[in-house]
Amino acid sequence: MTSNGTDINKIDLERFNQVFFEECGEHLVEMERILVSLGDSEPDDEQLNAIFRAAHSIKGGAGIFGFQDMTVVTHVLESLLDKLRTHEIPFSTAMIDLFLEAGDVISMQLAGHRDGAEVDQEAVDRIRTKLQQVVDGESIASTPEKGVPTVLQVEGEPEAAPGATTALHRYEMIFSPDPDIFKRGVRLENLLTELGELGALTVHAQVADCDDFTAIDPEVCHTSWRFCLETTASEADIREIFEFVADEEQLEVRDCAVGSVTVEQATDQSSVAPVAAPEDGIQVGRRAYDKDELAPAAYGRRTSEAEASIRVGVTKVDQLINQVGELVITQLMLAQTAAGLDPVHYENLHRTLLQLERNTRDLQQSVMSIRLVPISIVFSRFPRMVRELAAKLGKQVELKTFGESTELDKGLIEKITDPLTHLVRNCMDHALETPEVRVGAGKERSGTITLRASQIGGRIVIDVLDDGAGLNRDKILHKAAERGIATSDNMTDEEVWQLIFAPGFSTADAVTDISGRGVGMDVVLRNVQAMSGRVNISSESGKGTRVTISLPLTLAILDGLSVAVGEEKFIIPLNSIIESLQPDAASLKTVNGNRVVQVRGDYIPIIPLYELFNMQARVTEPEQGILILIDVDGEKAALLVDALLDEHQVVIKSIETNYRKVDGTAGATILGDGRVALILDVNSLLQMRKTKVNFP
Amino acid sequence: METGQGSGDRSGTNIVSEYLTFTLGNEEYGIDILKVQEIRGYDTVTHIANAPEFIKGVINLRGVIVPIVDMRIKFKVGEPSYNEFTVVIIMNVLGRVIGMVVDGVSDVVGLSPEQIKPAPEMGAAMDTDYITGLGTLNDQMLILVDIEKLMSSEEMQVMDQVN
Repeated sequence: MTSNGTDINKIDLERFNQVFFEECGEHLVEMERILVSLGDSEPDDEQLNAIFRAAHSIKGGAGIFGFQDMTVVTHVLESLLDKLRTHEIPFSTAMIDLFLEAGDVISMQLAGHRDGAEVDQEAVDRIRTKLQQVVDGESIASTPEKGVPTVLQVEGEPEAAPGATTALHRYEMIFSPDPDIFKRGVRLENLLTELGELGALTVHAQVADCDDFTAIDPEVCHTSWRFCLETTASEADIREIFEFVADEEQLEVRDCAVGSVTVEQATDQSSVAPVAAPEDGIQVGRRAYDKDELAPAAYGRRTSEAEASIRVGVTKVDQLINQVGELVITQLMLAQTAAGLDPVHYENLHRTLLQLERNTRDLQQSVMSIRLVPISIVFSRFPRMVRELAAKLGKQVELKTFGESTELDKGLIEKITDPLTHLVRNCMDHALETPEVRVGAGKERSGTITLRASQIGGRIVIDVLDDGAGLNRDKILHKAAERGIATSDNMTDEEVWQLIFAPGFSTADAVTDISGRGVGMDVVLRNVQAMSGRVNISSESGKGTRVTISLPLTLAILDGLSVAVGEEKFIIPLNSIIESLQPDAASLKTVNGNRVVQVRGDYIPIIPLYELFNMQARVTEPEQGILILIDVDGEKAALLVDALLDEHQVVIKSIETNYRKVDGTAGATILGDGRVALILDVNSLLQMRKTKVNFP
Repeated sequence: METGQGSGDRSGTNIVSEYLTFTLGNEEYGIDILKVQEIRGYDTVTHIANAPEFIKGVINLRGVIVPIVDMRIKFKVGEPSYNEFTVVIIMNVLGRVIGMVVDGVSDVVGLSPEQIKPAPEMGAAMDTDYITGLGTLNDQMLILVDIEKLMSSEEMQVMDQVN
C-alpha cells in the first residue's frame, strides 16, 4: 500500500520536474533583473523581499523535487538575504555581484538537471563558501541555531567518531510546518519512518492556532511536532531528512547531552513550553515571520498575479495555428464557390460568408498573437552583460532600451538573441572608446548603447546604436585588401560597410575573449537572413554607428501576390515587390544576350521564371507578359510572369517536412481551390540566376 | 484502409506480416501495410521546379504538403498515364508523408517467414538493395520492397541527404 503510494509520488515528480525547471528559470531571471536594475544603489525592502522570495522558491522547489545539490547554494543565499531583510547585516554593493554569481551557479545546476549539462562543482563550493563568509562575518553569535553554520560544524563529527556508542546523541527537534504543507503533497508518515530508522524516537504533537473545532480545514496543518531522538546520526543527517519538508525557519534541532535529566522530564510532561523557553526569542521571530504578509509567496506558492497566465506547450499553440490556417483555407474555398452564385438569389449566403470571413480573420489574428512575445525578453539580458563587459573593458557604458513591448514571434525571439548579443558585444568592444579617449574627443565620459525596437508596417525593426567612434573606412578597406576581398577607393560608404559582413572579417587589432575573432558580423547577417530579415549599417566617423535589423512580423503568415506561369501559380512576397509593369518593346534591351528592361533610367535584369524553373510558359516575351520588379537588399531584378492573379494573405507551409528544400522557394501554401502554390524566395532566385546566367 | 486487423484470425503459430500489393507494369510488388496511411486517386499536383521527372510535384493532403513520386517513371516500367484509375499510395516513411503513384493496388496479403525467399541478384526493375525478399502466394510472386530504405536513398531525391 505504502509502496504503491510512493510509486505514484515518483511518477508525479517526474511529471512536474519540467514545471519546476521552468519556474526556477523564471525566478532566476527575475532575481537577476532586480539585481541588475539596482546598479550600485542599495535595494529597498521590497526589492530585497522579491529577491528573497525568488531564492526561497527555488530552494523550496529544489527540495521538493529532490535536487538536493541545488538547495545548497540557495540555502546559504537565502540565509544571507534573510539577514539583509532583517538588517542584521548591512548591505554592500559587492553583494550584488556575489548574488549574480550565485544566480549563475544555480542556473548551471539547473541546466545540469534539465539538460544534463556539466556542473562545475568547484564553482558551487566556491560561491557557497563566499556566501557563507558573508553570513558568518557579522553575526555568528546572534543566531547559532540558524542555517548552515551549525550543520557545517557538526558535519565532521560523526566521521571522526565512527564508534557507535560513544557518539550517541539526544536531539530535540521542533518542527512547525507551514499550514500548506499537506497541499504540497508532503507525507509526514514517511518522515516519521525515516526518523525512526535513525534511533529511538519519541513524538509529541502540539495543536496550535486552533480556536474553533468546527472551523478546522482538514487540509491545513495546525500541528507542530516535537521529536526526541536518541541516535548516533549527526545533526546533518537529521536535517537531510527534513530537507524536502521543512524550511530552515520551521525546524529547530538541538543537540542535548545524553542523559540530560531536565530535558527528559520536560519531555515527559508533554509540554512544549519549557523546552522552547530557552529559544523563546527565536520562536517569536519565526512566528512573526510566519504571519508576515509576504510569507505565502515566500513559501513558493503562487500569488494571484501569476494566475493571470497559463503555461501551454508550444506544440499545442502551433497545432492551433495550423488548424486555424486550415479554417482560413476552407473559408476561402467556400467564398470562391459562392462567388459563382447569383448574388440576388443567395443574398443571405453571401452576407453570412462575409461574416465568416471577418470572424476567421479575427480568430486567426488572435491565435497568431498567442505566439507573439515582447522583445523585452531579449533586451532584459543585456543590462547585466553590458555591466560586466564595461567593468572588464574599463569603459563607462549606459544602456538605453526603447520599445520593449514590441511583440514578435517566439521563434524569432529565440533566433534574434544571438545576433543582438553579437552586436552589443561589438559596440562594447570596438565602437565605444575608453573614458579618456571620449573626453579627449569632447564627448561625455560615459558611452551610450541604445536598443530600439519598433513595428513598421509588417516588419519589426530593431536598431542597435552606439555613440562611439564609428566605422573606420580606411581601416576596413585596408583589412579587406589584406584578406583578398576586391575593393576600390571609390566605393560608397554603404558598400564599404557591407565588407564587414564578409566571413572572418575583423578590424580588431587584437583578438579578445569578447570579440575580434571575426566570427561576428557574418554570423549576424546569416542568422538574420535565415529569418528572412535584413541588416543595414550606417555610420558616421566620430559620432557612432547604427545597425538596423528588420524582420518579418511572423514566420507563419505572409502577404503575397499570386502570379501565373504556365499551368502553375506562385506566390511572391509582397514586401519584396516594388512595382509591376507591362514593358513596351522600346524599353527592352539585351546586355551580353541577357535581357534587361529600362525603368526610369535604370537597366534592370529580367529573370524569366519559366526559364529558371524549366517549365512551359504561355508567355516567353517580356512585352506580352508582366514584369514584377523586386528589390533584395538594394539589388533589383524584374521577374517575368504570364499574369498577375490576386493578392493574398497566405499561411506558410513547410515543404521540407515531407520533402526536401526546393531552390528558389521559401515554402508553399494552399490556395483557395485547395491546390498547392510555391512561395518564391526572391533572394535565392537572384542567387539561382547568377549561377545559371550563362546557361543556354 | 484499416491496418492491424486480420492478423488475429489467422490461426497458426507463425508470425504473419501483412503486405499491400500493387502493380508496376507487369510486376507485382508488396510493401509493409503498416507503412501505408491511405490510398487515394491521382489529383492535380503542383510541379516542383527543377525536380527530377519522377517527382511529379506536391499535393495538399488536408493541409499537409505531400510530395508525389511516380514509381513507373523512376523504374521505367509501365505507362505513366494518369486517369481516374491511377492510384496514389500515401505512406508514412521515417516520419514523413510521401505519396507513390502506382498502376494499381491489388490486395492485402499475409505472408509467413517461410513464404518469403531471398531475392536473386537481378530480376526486378528495382535495385536489389531495396528488396527484402520475394514472396510466394498461390503461384503468384511478390517483390517485397523495403520502402524506408528506398525512399531515403539518394537516388530517390525525396529527402535531403543530411542525416
